Amino acid sequence: MLWKDQYELGVPQIDAQHKELFRRVESFLQVLRSGGNWEEKVPKLNETLEFMKRYVVEHFHDEEEYQRSINYPGYEAHKQIHNGMVIYVQEVTKQYEASGNKEDLMQQFGGRLLAWLINHVAAEDQRIADYAKGRG
Amino acid sequence: MMDKLYKAFVDATSHVFQLMLNIPEISAHPEKTLKCDEAVDIAIGIVGDLQGEVVYRFPVATSLNMVKIMSGMEFDAVDVFVTSAISEVANIISGNVLTALSGGDLRCDILPPVQQKPDEGKAYEIESSCCICTAIGEICLEIRLNRASHMLH
Repeated sequence: MLWKDQYELGVPQIDAQHKELFRRVESFLQVLRSGGNWEEKVPKLNETLEFMKRYVVEHFHDEEEYQRSINYPGYEAHKQIHNGMVIYVQEVTKQYEASGNKEDLMQQFGGRLLAWLINHVAAEDQRIADYAKGRG
Repeated sequence: MMDKLYKAFVDATSHVFQLMLNIPEISAHPEKTLKCDEAVDIAIGIVGDLQGEVVYRFPVATSLNMVKIMSGMEFDAVDVFVTSAISEVANIISGNVLTALSGGDLRCDILPPVQQKPDEGKAYEIESSCCICTAIGEICLEIRLNRASHMLH
């Protein structure tokens, strides 16, 4: 399992979205890393990619709203990190489509997404939880 | 300066390994000759008050172990996916180092990671190598930096 309980922030809505995000990324990686013909995997990967493009934006928005609701001082910096990831996903998607679904681009995206997501939730998002707990 | 940088890199690596890989303990020692032959070399360019690069050498076994822990999947060779995941970890460690240093007087930024060996042709004012030992293998670091001209006055 990609998800670990230690990633929980204690905010039910955000935790539920994180779990869904991890579940989708795990499913994406399983298809990406499975053997077999690349062309046969493309439809499933494209479907997950489309979902993630929408879901990531929705989740980032909800998480930012939560940060504003608790006056989180790192809001602007955190929003910049989110924006950077959204731009990266959009750029990779464009390149991937323009390349005719080139496998290397998706493998590169998958590797970066895996490490980025774990660090973001385990480190950056935990700071929000620490701040929320600190204010009681 | 060197001691401060060295400590910042070791601390950041320790922090990232703890958070991302659940590896609680690491140890570091200065290393003049890096012994890992087959490795994934990831260079992170540094600009600002310090200019140069830090090259992370992740031996193949360390790289595969890291990606296995992160993904829960088996990997038997370094490929584009593994290199990309490892590059992002190097990027995260470097970002943490610069955040730690920005608490003092140094203002630096990092460039996107690229897969390349250290640039042996250039001379640097600050040059150091170290090896970090972890439960899943070693990581070697080569730090090569110059102070920006405005820092020399």
